[in-house]
Amino acid sequence: MNQFILQQGHARELHAFPHILEFALKKNNSIQLNSLHATSTDSVRIYSIVDGKFEWVIGEQNHILYPGDLAVILPGQTFRGEKDILNIGTLSWIHLRLEKIDATGMSLGKWSYLSRTECLTIGKILLLNLTTVLKLKECQGILTTLRQELMNQEIGFTTRVNQLIDELFISIARQSTRQNNSQRDFPQTFMKLEQTLRQNLAHQWTVEEMAALIGLGTTTFTEKVKNYTGFSPLNYLINIRISEAIKLLNRQDENVTDIALGTGFYSSQHFSTTFKKLTGYTPSEFRKRNLPSK
Amino acid sequence: MECIITIELGTNAVRIFAFDLSGNIIGSMKGSYPTFHTEPDYSEQDPEQIFITMLYVLKNLLTEKIHPQKYKVVSICFSASMHSVLAIDDHGVPLGNVITWADNRGKVEAQELKKSGLGKILYDNTGTPIHPMSPLVKITWMKNHDQERFNQTYKFLSIKSYIIQQLTGEYFIDYSLASATGLLNIQTIQWEPEALAYAGITADKLPELAPVFHSPGKLRKEYQKSLKLSSSTKLILGSSDGCMATLGAGVWSDGKATITIEDSGAVRVVGKEVLRDEKQRFFNYLLTENCYVSGGPTNNGGVVFDWFAKQFGDFRIPYEIEYTMDNLVNEASKVAVGSDGLLFLPYLLGERAPIWNANARGSYFGLNIKHERQHFIRATIEGILYEIYSIGKTLEEHRSIKTLSVNGSFASIPFCTQMIADMYNKPVTVNKHSDSASRGSFLMSATDMGKYATLEEASRTVALTDTYTADPGHHQTYQKYFDVFERLTNKLADEFEAIANLQQKH
Repeated sequence: MNQFILQQGHARELHAFPHILEFALKKNNSIQLNSLHATSTDSVRIYSIVDGKFEWVIGEQNHILYPGDLAVILPGQTFRGEKDILNIGTLSWIHLRLEKIDATGMSLGKWSYLSRTECLTIGKILLLNLTTVLKLKECQGILTTLRQELMNQEIGFTTRVNQLIDELFISIARQSTRQNNSQRDFPQTFMKLEQTLRQNLAHQWTVEEMAALIGLGTTTFTEKVKNYTGFSPLNYLINIRISEAIKLLNRQDENVTDIALGTGFYSSQHFSTTFKKLTGYTPSEFRKRNLPSK
Repeated sequence: MECIITIELGTNAVRIFAFDLSGNIIGSMKGSYPTFHTEPDYSEQDPEQIFITMLYVLKNLLTEKIHPQKYKVVSICFSASMHSVLAIDDHGVPLGNVITWADNRGKVEAQELKKSGLGKILYDNTGTPIHPMSPLVKITWMKNHDQERFNQTYKFLSIKSYIIQQLTGEYFIDYSLASATGLLNIQTIQWEPEALAYAGITADKLPELAPVFHSPGKLRKEYQKSLKLSSSTKLILGSSDGCMATLGAGVWSDGKATITIEDSGAVRVVGKEVLRDEKQRFFNYLLTENCYVSGGPTNNGGVVFDWFAKQFGDFRIPYEIEYTMDNLVNEASKVAVGSDGLLFLPYLLGERAPIWNANARGSYFGLNIKHERQHFIRATIEGILYEIYSIGKTLEEHRSIKTLSVNGSFASIPFCTQMIADMYNKPVTVNKHSDSASRGSFLMSATDMGKYATLEEASRTVALTDTYTADPGHHQTYQKYFDVFERLTNKLADEFEAIANLQQKH
């Protein structure tokens, strides 16, 4: 395949796609100084290796990439070649500007066909798993088709191009969860998930999100969790929330509403009801209970 | 109709059972909680999560199985894993997480104490091997390395004492669980002054001692209301999971031993006297007065086969480890007894009884060009069980064992049970119910009610099925390989230390 580079503002092929900032395929035949120096942008940058061996530093981490590997660089992450050099080989990349991607969630933009929940979940996976390098050869096919669609502009190409970008994100999210979980050790995988839940307790977790994080469908996920923990995923989450809340109540320095919201309850009312149902005490009664001992 | 509830606070989960007064199970539920390893030797759990999980499971069991059938709950009896330590302040609030039996942070303290003359005296008086698992060692560690927490501590509790305090407001520990702390003199049944002095504490830093049948008090009113239990429901302190499992396995007379293998494992006998071992290889835990559960624990039970399955099993269905293990066992059964000369030392997690060497490591030995994949599977299982056999064989230096009873998910796999029978060359029975610890708690409650005169009488009611008889030919083969296994383990002591040191550095 021939080299090409399309840049937003220059290439007419990208007119209908303001979210695509750059799309290119490069065959690098010689090593040049400073050919890949450190950059950090506000776009998502995706690189797919076709041929050769690339030594890169992504967000302080060293990686060696081989054909079939795919690197995902998130907004704000620094990216450079080892010794600031682009190695010899062939690679293609696409830079995308997303409407939003941060701790509160991700949205691709109006052009995307992904539902809001799907988008949020994929965003969570990208941010939490932080797997920058994925074994994802199938993405080369997606990028090749994407190029043909952009160049040929046949009937329906706007839809096809946007669908292909959606597909790229879905593949990345799925592979990322698979690579992070061996699919052999459920207790270990569940432990990792539990850590994530604890670190983001205020987030309104859905079963879909939790299942996606470890790469299972919701039905299998629910069944596995029930089997392993004795609870449904949401009830297990309530366990963690209440235990965390008890710790904060005992510390005596935070008000009940803040504790409620901080541990993921909708309101202090919702917290109170759930807490009382389980423990027999309201949060403030429970707090008063731990009086100095005799 | 009346029923008895048992609560087992296990290593990974709480298991709650309801029995009718004849011992039939009315219902059971479990709830798991995680273990945190924030540093290499640390093993901790969240006391609040354990409490909430217990409460949640209890409530669900009562609402779904007990109240709709109009059962009246006569008593609730507790058991818990041994050796846990939880520091609390004078408001009863935990100072950090509970430190579990698997925690190794006190290994330096343990080594020093074990080498000293005091260590020998403490082992003789307390019955608990000097090891990082022992609360004596853990509290000493805290005194040396976490002084702030140590000074702030109002009491050092076991997880069970904490749960019972939450439910009743009272601080208690039963003699049985206390006898696993390394702080209790198992002859006088009082806290051992020399142990307290070594740990730097006084007796008032520990919960109050009481017999296993003791009732720590009524449920707090709020819990009576939320759980819909009457004030007449009696709480019973109960014992440790190990002692309860022994009671529930029906092993209560001379000549009997019980083998439990879950992730870890143990071989236990019951007797009226302390089993004195010069080499400090066995524990002696008290169940009731003049009744000792003695034996040896292993770190490397089902967890090692788990490890093997995860690495080398065929996971056609994601996360279906049971299916994978079934297939492995099936493959192993096609290999000849003794794995055609392939031996496996199972010490992946260091080892306790009988070698008590934290530096011990695993090894496959005797490989030749004809060995195939399935030999490794069988050798792995055989290695785990040679270790179990070596504990029993050492126990036999003190007690004669005529019959065995096995329980636990790994030991009760028929292939493994048969192998145990063949290695020991003794008949082996399997418990009809897999829940030995809960069964033991039931028997204790029923004895407390007067249904049985003594625990011994109660233990005789345990239904045993499926006797496995030993094949003398297989026994001979295993004996030959076991000799090599034992010699190899002893010879490798220096190399274990060398490799463990290297592993620690990298």
